[in-house]
Amino acid sequence: MPANKKYLTSSPWQRFAKISAAILGGLIVSVLFHMALASWFDHVAVIITSTFSAFILWAILMVLAYLDKNGWKIWGFYLLASIVFGAIFYFGNQTHPIV
Amino acid sequence: MGNRIYNILFHTHTVSGIVISVALYVIFFTGSFSFFRDEIANWQRGHQTSEQDAIVGSMDEYLKDIAKDHNLFGRDVEISHYFNERRVNVSLGASKDSLAADEDKARTFFYLDTEDKSTGTYVESYHLGEFLYRLHFLDQIPYPYGRYLSGFVAFFFLFAIITGILVHWNKIISNFYVFRPWAKIKTLWTDAHTALGVIGFPFQFVYAVTGAFFLLKGILVAPLVLGLYDGDQNKLYEDLEYNHPVYAYHHEKLDKNIAIDHLIAKTKEDWPDFRLKEAHIFNYGDTNMHVAISGYLGYTSKLNGLGHRIYKVADGSIIEEKVPMTNNSYLDGVKNMMFRLHFGDYAGYGLRVISFVLGLVSCFVILSGIMIWLVARDKKNIPEKRRIFNYQVANWYMAICLSLLPVTASAFIIVQFAEEVNRPFLYRTYFPIWLVVSLFFIIKKNIGFTNKWTLISGGILGLLVPVANGIASGNWMWATYANGQQQIFLVDVLWLILGIVSLWIAFFKLNASRSELAPAKD
Repeated sequence: MPANKKYLTSSPWQRFAKISAAILGGLIVSVLFHMALASWFDHVAVIITSTFSAFILWAILMVLAYLDKNGWKIWGFYLLASIVFGAIFYFGNQTHPIV
Repeated sequence: MGNRIYNILFHTHTVSGIVISVALYVIFFTGSFSFFRDEIANWQRGHQTSEQDAIVGSMDEYLKDIAKDHNLFGRDVEISHYFNERRVNVSLGASKDSLAADEDKARTFFYLDTEDKSTGTYVESYHLGEFLYRLHFLDQIPYPYGRYLSGFVAFFFLFAIITGILVHWNKIISNFYVFRPWAKIKTLWTDAHTALGVIGFPFQFVYAVTGAFFLLKGILVAPLVLGLYDGDQNKLYEDLEYNHPVYAYHHEKLDKNIAIDHLIAKTKEDWPDFRLKEAHIFNYGDTNMHVAISGYLGYTSKLNGLGHRIYKVADGSIIEEKVPMTNNSYLDGVKNMMFRLHFGDYAGYGLRVISFVLGLVSCFVILSGIMIWLVARDKKNIPEKRRIFNYQVANWYMAICLSLLPVTASAFIIVQFAEEVNRPFLYRTYFPIWLVVSLFFIIKKNIGFTNKWTLISGGILGLLVPVANGIASGNWMWATYANGQQQIFLVDVLWLILGIVSLWIAFFKLNASRSELAPAKD
């Protein structure tokens, strides 16, 4: 049987929010997370690890984005996470610039 | 897991799966053949390469051959080996000599056959193995669209297998012992889909992640370069050790007979089981000429034994080296393993044959997924119009996917009889045949028919592949077996088995009571 419709999102805006948070939001969080790590730790090791871990994390965030009822709340979480990782990256990059 | 989450995951699995299914099938089907890319090249040409995965023969001789048509002086010259073919890649940099002729100031790239010394450009040297390998990441669609498309397909595939395993999670153990091929049609497809999906999960996970990286690395690199490297891409590649060092050009002719074979021999003597992958010459014929010898230890000696050594040619001194026996760098390990895991080429033919089988099993998982999607929507409460539409979608999908088997088998036969095989030829034969066969099955509009006749035609054509090879080139299987031409033999055996299995499924597994695996409808 196909999935039971009563559990699925029907509003187009909610769908848009979830799909965009899954694909775009997930990517931004995943990349910023790795950049934050790279700015404080051995950046070469972090970057080369990200060749696989960034895609795995992105895919997991993509799954999580569909689980809440409210897609905008997911966007809120992902933006918050991006700001936090972005700030960690910013200060890391100021303290130990690579170039 | 609650009902809500279960249904959401189920739905995302269905939608992502059905959207990527056709492209993913093409990728897995041709990708399975790509494990034998080099064998197919040698099979097509009737070649047998002597040693595996390394440049063999005398580098000085190759340089002498190249020098017949090209003035090497002042250039960077790179001879490298990527594939197990007789041909090596030759790349000549622009001459740094200010007095060089205009034609020497241009970079150039070609292939050199190490036995008959002929050269060829990329398009001329194109072969069926290369064609299937490229189709496997949709590279026939103009760059960068085809590669990004296949990259996103790989990534959504990763999403689909994660949601798929989560949906099935609670039933993994209880359903492990359940296989009901004689129950309803739908349970046959579901059991096959879940059983093979769970067994294939680790394999598919590795391929999805590495595949996504190969084709989507651009969207990862761009923010790293902008954020961490202030836009200096070169610095990133330097940090990741992708770049060669730079040696200044001295504008003074090296007063010495140029030879590098003894340097390679010395390296191989110091590093037992070292396989030469690339020789990069800096400033050919200049007093500041250097040569970088790169390679790796055979996989039976060390899995990540990458190493290189740079000699200064003027005095034969070692300028820089990374010893493969003691190289345990994490960077090299990850870089190497991403490729080794994807290519499955580190453990001989056995691993590649298993990977080939798992690749085709994944194809079956994709097809059964399409069938579940269709059968699950074939209900009385669904409007007739909707059901016809669904059937049409599945009909198109199955026709395009399943026709790949006979089309690929016929391509193997055609290349044996063709006068000259190059890229235009393969494009002009493979794609039109695929189109016509797909259209035929789409118009027939009967999935059971498509299923049966692609298997029968694919099976017969598959069995004809070794016969075609024997007639066209005289490389009959008993001859290649007796002569130890294992690469040619392997491709013939592969098709022989594939042909027998296809016919066996068509005649003994899809029997009369089973002929309607799909609901007939028009």
